[in-house]
Amino acid sequence: MFKFIQQYAEKIENIEVYPIFSLLVFFIFFMVLLYLVIRMDKKSVQQLSNLPFSTTEEPSQQTT
Amino acid sequence: MQVEKFYYDNRTVKNFAFATILWGVVGMLVGLYAALQLVFPSLNVTQYGSFGRLRPLHTNAVIFAFVGNGIFMGVYYSLQRLLKARMYSDLLSKIHFWGWQLIIVGAAITLPLGLTNGAEYAELIWPIDLAITIIWVVFGWNMFATIIKRREKHLYVAIWFYIATLVTVAVLHIVRSIELPYSWLHSYSWYAGVQDALVQWWYGHNAVAFFLTTPYLGLMYYFMPKAANRPVYSYRLSIIHFWSLIFLYIWAGPHHLLYTALPNWAQSLGIVFSIMLLFPSWGGMINGLLTLRGAWDRVRDDVVLKFMVVAVTAYGMATFEGPMLSLKNVSAIAHYTDWIVAHVHVGALGWNGMLTFGIIYWLIPRIFNTPLYSKKLAANHFWLGTLGIIFYAVPLYWAGFTQSSMWKEFTESGQLKYAFLETVTYMKPFYAMRSFGGALYLVGACLMVYNIYKTAKAGKLVADEAAEAAPMIKEEARHKGEHWHRWIERKPMQMMVLALIVILIGGVIEIIPTFLVKSNVPTISSVKPYTPLELQGRDLYVREGCYTCHSQMIRPFRSETERYGEYSKAGEFVYDHPFQWGSKRTGPDLARSGTGNLKKSDGWHFRHFREPASMSEGSIMPPYSFMLTQELDTSNTAAKINAMRTLGVPYAEGFELIANQDLLKQATGIASNLKADSIRISPTKEVIALIAYIQRMGTDISKQKNN
Repeated sequence: MFKFIQQYAEKIENIEVYPIFSLLVFFIFFMVLLYLVIRMDKKSVQQLSNLPFSTTEEPSQQTT
Repeated sequence: MQVEKFYYDNRTVKNFAFATILWGVVGMLVGLYAALQLVFPSLNVTQYGSFGRLRPLHTNAVIFAFVGNGIFMGVYYSLQRLLKARMYSDLLSKIHFWGWQLIIVGAAITLPLGLTNGAEYAELIWPIDLAITIIWVVFGWNMFATIIKRREKHLYVAIWFYIATLVTVAVLHIVRSIELPYSWLHSYSWYAGVQDALVQWWYGHNAVAFFLTTPYLGLMYYFMPKAANRPVYSYRLSIIHFWSLIFLYIWAGPHHLLYTALPNWAQSLGIVFSIMLLFPSWGGMINGLLTLRGAWDRVRDDVVLKFMVVAVTAYGMATFEGPMLSLKNVSAIAHYTDWIVAHVHVGALGWNGMLTFGIIYWLIPRIFNTPLYSKKLAANHFWLGTLGIIFYAVPLYWAGFTQSSMWKEFTESGQLKYAFLETVTYMKPFYAMRSFGGALYLVGACLMVYNIYKTAKAGKLVADEAAEAAPMIKEEARHKGEHWHRWIERKPMQMMVLALIVILIGGVIEIIPTFLVKSNVPTISSVKPYTPLELQGRDLYVREGCYTCHSQMIRPFRSETERYGEYSKAGEFVYDHPFQWGSKRTGPDLARSGTGNLKKSDGWHFRHFREPASMSEGSIMPPYSFMLTQELDTSNTAAKINAMRTLGVPYAEGFELIANQDLLKQATGIASNLKADSIRISPTKEVIALIAYIQRMGTDISKQKNN
């Protein structure tokens, strides 16, 4: 596979494709992530964030 | 449902906690000593205690011994509780603990002996590299097997950070450690020059990311809610924090190489991703700090929370500074100066140190089932630590700016205003103040040692802590309509593979083109392999850790080309296994030491190595007089030539057989040069080889001009 890439990448001329491609990959990744996270339902989020507290030691919400 | 009774293993947690404390003090002590050496060069006693060998000992001790044990302490405590299961195997825990300590002892012995790979934070020699790989697999095995036998269905965010750490550190360590051994203790990096530099800083930066940051973020997400007694501010934010952080971090390495001979496109890529990194980092910091919402009044009395608040704030400061330092115009000022040293210490002393202390103060009383011996001592520790960080960092920021401005200042007639040495002696008061800051921090840590000792003595270790939980119901398939991330959280393997893919994208796009695209490293026909004597000299340069204070990379600035000579080209380093560009200029750049504006005679170098201050008044360089008496080991010359040939350096077949003759011939030449300068020395001494190397550096390119 390296040979295959090398064949087309002997010259540096079109290298600007790399950063643009990278940015695009991250942008898409991030947008999908954001969309999915926003759609999470509230109850399960609450349940997950309480995982460090086992049933016997629920966080004692102070009322002050 | 029937609840199961089981026991948490606290003994391993205790072992790692005590190891963290022990190595923390040792690492800081070595750091303080090295800092003092810069103020009082006479503290460089014997070759084993010279700055060039102690500095790697300090960095390795703090990163892998102090923070490393800190990670394992926190992971072994939190993982069991988050999964409601004892660690999978007590034997594996034991092997992991003792194996890791053995590696540390190995490092503490080999580094002062000058056994090093010469790559920052990857100095350890190949047998130790191999041991690290094995112990890391033991840790991973123990962790994954525990995850598999867990009683809690969902994996809390802290565990994702642990998983990402495990897999990424494995990838980084393996790629960085690909080396060709030529003896039981020595090897050459597989990569050369620009490629070695890119691999090094891809590794180096991500050692910061995945050893000093992601595991500690995992600890933050567990211990901060526990200490504050309330859940994390936003679990959604923690998901975004995790995925975007691990995605972005892996690309950022090239920001360590701005304005160097690294191809421009790779530098730009590093900059863009470093800037973007600010956002997930601050997302994490805000998430940590806001966990204390409604509990800020408790920070006044609770010393654990105090430590954690300073830690997370330091994380925020360091991760703001990092992206800013990645801008080319800021890097132009900060690179090679003490600014960078200040920056990393805000991270190490602030983020890692303070979080570790907070966790220790929280955890030890719990596993010893007794209150902390003295809250007052802990509060004093907190203030000494915080003041120590300020006294450490502020003088070095000041020093960095001053140093950089002095390097770049020209007189009206267009001459450089300051000789390099003037900029060094000017730094001494700053180095003294920094040492004071470091000493304060160390005194604080000593208070902790006493406090924890008294606490442990007053209580009794609950080696096996009873707990109970219902067994997990096996659910293989994903329910219809179930949220994707809940599904992933149940599947540790998928989680690991996904994390691996996310970190590989960056690595692959960044590294593969640099290896494959030929025009990235334009060849220079006059650049030739080192002679055997120069090669031996270069290995001495690596052994003595010269790269800890001297760079070999002239950036294309007028202030640098005026001072050192022509700026460095990628093609000049094609035979450098390992590259020695360095990252700090406590002393001047040496890339053109054999030809440029700083060229000196053989006799000057001889006297300078014997007693640096005799040639450069006020120099803080350690003396290398032992090289005047130590014989150069030439028994390995043939092995070195063979190894280099395997790595692609064009030595002719059979050259290894006559290499030592060639070596002696060149050495005799240098010895007779010295004789003319009324210095009598045998050509077989180490210093001759080092002089040969220093005089060779940067000369190839001027030959091209003369032709």
